[in-house]
Amino acid sequence: MLIIECPYCGRRDQSEFSNGGEAHVKRPDGSSEISDREWSEYVFVRSNTKGIFYERWVHSHGCRKWFNCVRDTSTDEILKTYRIDDTRPKLKDFKNLVDTPSGEPELGSGNFTVKK
Amino acid sequence: MKELKTNSSPFVNFNQKISFLFDGKKIFGFKGDTIASALLRNNINLVGRSFKYHRPRGIYTCGIEEPNALVQIISEYSEPNTRATIKKIYEGMEVESQNRWPSLDNDIGSINSLFSPLFSAGFYYKTFMGPHKSFWKKIYEPIIRRAAGLGKPPKEFKALSSHLHHNVDIVIVGAGLNGLLAAKSLINTNHDILLVDFDNHLGGIINNSAKILSIDNQSPKEWVKSTVEAIEKSKNIKILKNTLVTTYNYINHLIAVEDKHVGSRPSENKVNNILHKMRTNHVILCNGHIERFLSFQNNDLPGIMLASSFEKYICRYGTLPSKEPVIFSNNSNSNSLIYSIINQGYKPKAYIDSRSGENIEPELFDLIRKHDIPLYTNSQIKGVSGRKRIEKILIEDSTGGLSEIHSDFLCVSGGINPDVHLFTQSKGLLDWDEKDLTYKPSKPFQPTITLGSASGQFNLEKVSDEINEKLKIFKNKVLDTQIVLNTKESYQIEKLWEISPHKSSMWSKSFIDLQNDVTTKDIRQAISEGFDRIEHLKRYTTNSMGTDQGKISSINALGIVSDLLDKKVNEVGTTIYRPPYAPLSFAAIAGRNSYEFYDPERKSPIHQWHKDNGAIFEDVGQWKRPWYFPLNSSESMHDAVQRESKNVREFAGVLDGSTLGKIEIKGKDALSFMNLIYTNSFSKMKPGSARYALMLGEDGMVKDDGIISKISEEHFIATTTTGGAATVLGCMEEYAQTEWPNLNVYMNSITEQFATFNISGPKTREIMNKVFPEIDFSNDAFPFMTFQFHNYQGMQIRILRASFTGEMGYEIYIPSKNAAKIWDQLHSFGKDFGLIPYGTETMHLLRAEKGYIIIGQDTDGSITPIDLGLNWTIGKTKQDFLGKRSLTRTDTIRTDRKQLVGITPSNKEDHLTEGQHIILNQIIKTPTPMLGHITSSYQSPTLGHSFGLAVIKDGHSLIGTKAFASTPDQKTIPIEIVKPVFYDEENKRLVS
Repeated sequence: MLIIECPYCGRRDQSEFSNGGEAHVKRPDGSSEISDREWSEYVFVRSNTKGIFYERWVHSHGCRKWFNCVRDTSTDEILKTYRIDDTRPKLKDFKNLVDTPSGEPELGSGNFTVKK
Repeated sequence: MKELKTNSSPFVNFNQKISFLFDGKKIFGFKGDTIASALLRNNINLVGRSFKYHRPRGIYTCGIEEPNALVQIISEYSEPNTRATIKKIYEGMEVESQNRWPSLDNDIGSINSLFSPLFSAGFYYKTFMGPHKSFWKKIYEPIIRRAAGLGKPPKEFKALSSHLHHNVDIVIVGAGLNGLLAAKSLINTNHDILLVDFDNHLGGIINNSAKILSIDNQSPKEWVKSTVEAIEKSKNIKILKNTLVTTYNYINHLIAVEDKHVGSRPSENKVNNILHKMRTNHVILCNGHIERFLSFQNNDLPGIMLASSFEKYICRYGTLPSKEPVIFSNNSNSNSLIYSIINQGYKPKAYIDSRSGENIEPELFDLIRKHDIPLYTNSQIKGVSGRKRIEKILIEDSTGGLSEIHSDFLCVSGGINPDVHLFTQSKGLLDWDEKDLTYKPSKPFQPTITLGSASGQFNLEKVSDEINEKLKIFKNKVLDTQIVLNTKESYQIEKLWEISPHKSSMWSKSFIDLQNDVTTKDIRQAISEGFDRIEHLKRYTTNSMGTDQGKISSINALGIVSDLLDKKVNEVGTTIYRPPYAPLSFAAIAGRNSYEFYDPERKSPIHQWHKDNGAIFEDVGQWKRPWYFPLNSSESMHDAVQRESKNVREFAGVLDGSTLGKIEIKGKDALSFMNLIYTNSFSKMKPGSARYALMLGEDGMVKDDGIISKISEEHFIATTTTGGAATVLGCMEEYAQTEWPNLNVYMNSITEQFATFNISGPKTREIMNKVFPEIDFSNDAFPFMTFQFHNYQGMQIRILRASFTGEMGYEIYIPSKNAAKIWDQLHSFGKDFGLIPYGTETMHLLRAEKGYIIIGQDTDGSITPIDLGLNWTIGKTKQDFLGKRSLTRTDTIRTDRKQLVGITPSNKEDHLTEGQHIILNQIIKTPTPMLGHITSSYQSPTLGHSFGLAVIKDGHSLIGTKAFASTPDQKTIPIEIVKPVFYDEENKRLVS
């Protein structure tokens, strides 16, 4: 289980939080001028990143605040959490650990034992 | 009983005799014995039958790695698959052997051995294919189910468990030599430390073997005693005994289970297991090593035991499983056993070593010569034979000559492996050591330190150097521990995985996994059939898939596979080690989250009244709601609901609606916010009025409904469905924080702060006038869909004129603590007007007659407001609200969407059932296209027949036509598709 740092409450156990999917997905306003495609991108399409991923969490059994989080999905390492109104940290601020040919980091990704 | 020359073990109390039952027979042991050590004291070695072939099996090890000696503990809620090698006995314990019938000695299932050539790898996949597919369901599956597994699952398991959380700096796993030394060096440092050991006596290898003669000039046992005392006195180290670390998760999260009733019967009312959840910054793994076995013909017979386990029985339990065992080894780790046996005044019957003479330690040579022990160097055991235990051993010496020894006991050692389970669970990397022939921890993924044999450092004399080096980061006390050993310790091993039998037949077996009855032949077959990847091979053969996870054998399998494939072992890789390290009971995992604590029960403030008045309850989410109120025990649910419904239509009824979600929304921008969350427009609504509203998902589908009361432009109260309350509040909070943070709005749940009573029926106004004489309930003063605040005996209540039954009615909102008072008043005044309480089932019937939907019953997440015919709820002029744009998606504007309609049976005697499919043909020919299904159906006392709501493709334009409802027995009921309203279409009664 992860330890997540709520930007308001501090380090807490993952069991206090709920995941809210990809972060920084802008909601277009619901007016009919938006194309079907643009709207369906917002409603149905999310990226499924392996590696560094920006996502939302909510401290549901705590302060009930939503916040953003940068997590390496291949190792589950949480690199940063920040408030919803903070600026999005740049990708290059983080060391991308996914650099092996299979996309697996050598360490920590689970299936290293069948690497050959 | 077999007595040792020296009853040397301080861990067994030889003055306290204990009796227990094994398969109904009374057996005596001593306090401190395990089931296995007590059985061995009584010369019992046959303890179970094997999984597939029902072969006789004995005690193979002396610890958690045991593959064979699994027993059922009848006296502990019949817990199955308990390892006899770790379970301590107590007076009156009842133990049964497993997987045998009618008895362990005469087991009918052993006939499987005869057919064993059939049961090779992939047997199930290849065999149960024909001749007809019905064979699987009717014949194969029942037989396989009966034969599957070893123990029998307990019928009821009551053991109490609880969970304990730890937040520390360092967890030391294992309190053997290395764990104790590491802890000692960290005494009174600034680190909070947990020292965890599985045993009830700390010391590990110091207690389990005779290897260590002295530590710092103290006898090893004295050293352990003084060290443990010093650790216990320290300010910063806590010791957890009888605690097994089973899991090493991400972020240094460890899970361990503590047995609180070692050597005693579990208590009915005390916690018997504690699941420890540990958070730490560093983990020091000192969990030692595990000895592995060797594969040769019949290597599973009772009387065969791992060499170090034999020594542990002598040193730890003071029992000698055999006075003159034969020893077979390919490494130096078993040398100590020979010393231990000689110390007891006996000697091995023979010593067989696969290494050549020059590789065997000279001092071992001297010892063997001095005691005149028959020595076979450069030799191998080709196989053993015997019926229910080993009788003869066939040896092949260096020249290839064969000789046979009669012996009833054989100790085997195939080398030692660091216990890498926890290290690999933590995602650390292993590397193959070509010299020591084992996988050793190489790169840790987390802040994990391995010490001693757990790190692959097998030299006991060098332990303090390793600790000084690796624990430097903790600024520990530098150790200079002097350790004297009984044998010059430098681990040395020769490669040996499997010895081919001298003569083989279809029935001969060399096992590679004792628990799952996997033979080396199965491995060969799997490879020849193409399963040469280790993960495939594991699943195809079930190798190392037992509860022991192949602790003594999985590395041997890798060795055999690497030879067969002509690859290096590192290239073969290991299968993934997954938690838990050893089985732990579900009771421990569940902890206190069981029975009444499994899921909280929520109760209305007048729950007790419902109980006193004979309500039958139904679960709605976590809530207990009155379902119906039978007049007496003989009134059926159907009769009660018919009576309640009729009564509400003719007189009046009251429903406890306290479970409805209630959310209060406040703030300068509350109006804009509500306009964005719900489909309706609240802008033109007058304060003091209320409106039925829908909430959609962004996909345009109906998610929840409720009544929105507008107190002012900056203050609203929304009701939600009972089950949807938390989701709706969560959704509001999410959008307020993430999408529209500029809006000044706050929301909070007031569900439990207010009780809600829904009173309705033609007599309602008269009753309300009696209960609240100062309030004017006339149509003009209190119109439909308005609400008023009033003072009632010093408390503020809110009365809303609304109805979910179709009759005129009111909803009364009262602070919960005063709710019972008003409820009682309603009944005492209402009695004369025929007021009755009614339950959710009647509520469902009445609302269906009116065509009011229930979210989750008539909708399923794929229904839009337009599909429901609720277009009027949509604020057309609004720029935006949740899901607005989705209502004009290509999918949502299709005309053949499933739409809500009403249905009645053409023949009024027919009964409709929820879930029935609506079709066009009277005679069912498969496949028959399905138009939709019935979502709600009831027998209406008012209409005098059955009716229903249904969602049907293009339903709105099918109104007025005929169709059929299919029944499970392939018949059809003719129906008419009608408007989804059956009662008072003009709403005359609502506004009367």
